[in-house]
Amino acid sequence: MNSKIVTDIVTQDENRIVEKKDLKKVFLRSIPMEFTWNYERQMHLGYCYALLPVLKKLYRGKDLADAMTRHMEFYNTTPHIITFPLGISAAQEEKCVEDPEHADKTTVSTVKTAMMGPIAGIGDSFFWGTLRILATGIGTSLALQGNILGPILYLLVFNVPHFILRYMGTFLGYNLGTSFLSKLEASGSMQLLTYGASIIGLMVAGSMTAEMVYMTLNIPVGIGETATDLQTILDGILPGIMPLALFGLVYWLLKKGVKPLPLTFILMGVGILGAAFGFLA
Amino acid sequence: MVVIQTLLIALLTLAARCHTMFGTSLINRPIVLGALTGLIVGDLQQGIIMGGTLELAFVGAVSIGAYIPPDMVSGTILGTAFAIAAGAGPETALALSYPIAAAYQAVSTLGTPLGLWLMHKCDRYAEEGDVKKFERGYWITGFVPKLIFLPIIPLAFYFGSDAVVSLLNRMPAFIQTGINIAGGLIPALGFAMLAQMIMNKKVVVFFFLGYFTVQYLGIATTGVAIFAVILAVVLVQIEQRLSARSNSQNAKDGGELDEF
Repeated sequence: MNSKIVTDIVTQDENRIVEKKDLKKVFLRSIPMEFTWNYERQMHLGYCYALLPVLKKLYRGKDLADAMTRHMEFYNTTPHIITFPLGISAAQEEKCVEDPEHADKTTVSTVKTAMMGPIAGIGDSFFWGTLRILATGIGTSLALQGNILGPILYLLVFNVPHFILRYMGTFLGYNLGTSFLSKLEASGSMQLLTYGASIIGLMVAGSMTAEMVYMTLNIPVGIGETATDLQTILDGILPGIMPLALFGLVYWLLKKGVKPLPLTFILMGVGILGAAFGFLA
Repeated sequence: MVVIQTLLIALLTLAARCHTMFGTSLINRPIVLGALTGLIVGDLQQGIIMGGTLELAFVGAVSIGAYIPPDMVSGTILGTAFAIAAGAGPETALALSYPIAAAYQAVSTLGTPLGLWLMHKCDRYAEEGDVKKFERGYWITGFVPKLIFLPIIPLAFYFGSDAVVSLLNRMPAFIQTGINIAGGLIPALGFAMLAQMIMNKKVVVFFFLGYFTVQYLGIATTGVAIFAVILAVVLVQIEQRLSARSNSQNAKDGGELDEF
């Protein structure tokens, strides 16, 4: 794909609040996306940090604070093409300011959440599965002969396509966001988008919860021949019941107004106590 | 000479620890670190060969999703440096790297609570809309948990591996196990916060659909995402037809919508 085509649409329309230089900043600030990766919300800080140049331009005061908080939610996808959802979010936030009557701010969250899974699916298999393995094949075969080109080619084979795609993703995402969203708005289908995106978003969030939340009880039940353990029994009733119960409990506590920080440390404490007394595995 | 080498090893460790700052660009991989370690200790050629050997050994060690791989950074730097110092081959580097990587990983999990605490401070700066404090908090959250363990590798290089590995192994095992278990629990909080943002009565069932699709059918998120897109397209079309029927005058306008 020619990068001219990708960046053209932005430059055509001079009335936009978000300019090309802002999107370039988003690209640069997307580079340390995983620098603050954590167990709790993974890439959330990086996402907010990368989008800040756009948010700063669009909002002031309380609105800026709200926008920043909005982008501090859980996010995780392939870091190398994170600019694609970032571009779409930038376009949506811009729309919220240009056309506050029709824009729905929760759509920003649902759309970006809906994209986590599909992007990670394609991205992880392309970057980790294909490109890295290609780089490893070329790099190690030279390195094992003591050739300095081994490590050098290893980095180039991976990072040249990586940075090109990362750069283009910003504009591709933004253009898709603006053109797609204005088309939807014209047809009066914004509500349908929100509906469709929240279906995808919640299914992806549900499946990621099932994949990433682990809780295994280590409590023996019964003695002798019939001895088993509680986890096996629970799994027989409903697989994954413990992680789901934990999710439900945390959700309920948040609704009750318990702050996230104490919850983090309670969960950490439960993990350490569980290991110390052996009731969790 | 050893002091200069130790300082250079410290710099190399810092760069490798902060690889995520450079776009997750694989500069922390054994094939790169092995060559640079070789350069520092004075045998580039051996370093490249050892790096290549270790790269193949650690090829499966990538962080996808929430999986945290063994610490190949300490394993590669120290394994390569000691093997070259001993005049041994790549097999020695490989054999040395594993216990170091395991011992280091155990200790580095202790940085997790610190990182989480720092990160929650940024939540407050965001709520206040304070861009300056937020950006400063962002870099502190990134650097501090990495910096506190930075001296371990250079010290191990300076004093030799045995002394350091035995010291690292003194940490009670349940703490490391506990933090690893907590690593499975804490994402529940992240997803609960996300769900609060996007969940409403109309669509709440789809969360459970996604959850149990994975639990019962063992499909990965990619697969679920594909089905989710199909389902969303179908349901949006149904919704569209229903709303078109309810105001049949406008029925012809709303017909063409391409869902992504």
